[in-house]
Amino acid sequence: MTSSPHKKNTPAQKSALSEKEKIKQQEFQEEAVEHINALYNYALHLSMNPDDAHDLVQETYLKAYKFFDSFEKGTNCKAWLFKILKNNYINKFRKNAREPGKVDYDLIKDFYHSIKDTQSDSEDLNAGYFRSLMHDEVYQALNSLPEEFKEVIQLCDIEGFTYEEIANMVESPIGTVRSRLYRGRKLLRSKLNEFAKKYGYNTDNEETP
Amino acid sequence: MSAAVDGELTPKEREGFEKHIVKCPSCLSEFKEAQKTKSLIREKIVRFKAPQSLVNSVLKLTDSLF
Repeated sequence: MTSSPHKKNTPAQKSALSEKEKIKQQEFQEEAVEHINALYNYALHLSMNPDDAHDLVQETYLKAYKFFDSFEKGTNCKAWLFKILKNNYINKFRKNAREPGKVDYDLIKDFYHSIKDTQSDSEDLNAGYFRSLMHDEVYQALNSLPEEFKEVIQLCDIEGFTYEEIANMVESPIGTVRSRLYRGRKLLRSKLNEFAKKYGYNTDNEETP
Repeated sequence: MSAAVDGELTPKEREGFEKHIVKCPSCLSEFKEAQKTKSLIREKIVRFKAPQSLVNSVLKLTDSLF
């Protein structure tokens, strides 16, 4: 991606551009680049492949920078970037995506372990619920959900977007986001129960002895 | 229910919801379960840092365009 498809400007044009461009660059770096970790995680969840995630993030920033003038200052830059990344992902990968609903657990597991060793943020292991379930099992359960449920749970619970922002990203009404979250979480709980039983963990908890 | 878990209820809706769950054990238990599922996801899904090479190349992107 370092070879730019854009025409190089002559030195005169370059100096005329530079002041305006410098301000844009600075604003862009302050507003947009701070979301790079969140975008990378989102790209990993979508593509399940570090190389593709790398490219997706890079292309997202390239597009975002080109269209940064159209970004409404004061609105949520992270939500704007996520939307660009998702559109990019759809254009790139959806055409030859695997069948919906079919999940390759080995692929997830391999992916998860390969990347887990390299770098992770600080982990909080104090979950009070299904505390014996491992990270990759929760990850698998989440990934086994139909795409429309998985997506809203990711955006809401992992990325912390509001319903309004999610509705805008998935291009559905807020009521749809609400009901997908409700059904998605319910489905997720039953998957986690299945996992917990399969691996022989004790699923009893205080509320349902 | 999900709006209650995510703090997305309007003050009026919230008031109604709170009044209801103290009287309805099945909604209360479902509310607690949904809260647990949300916190489980938040706690167990590991977050990765973008590789430094990616950060560098994004920072360079803005320069290389012009």
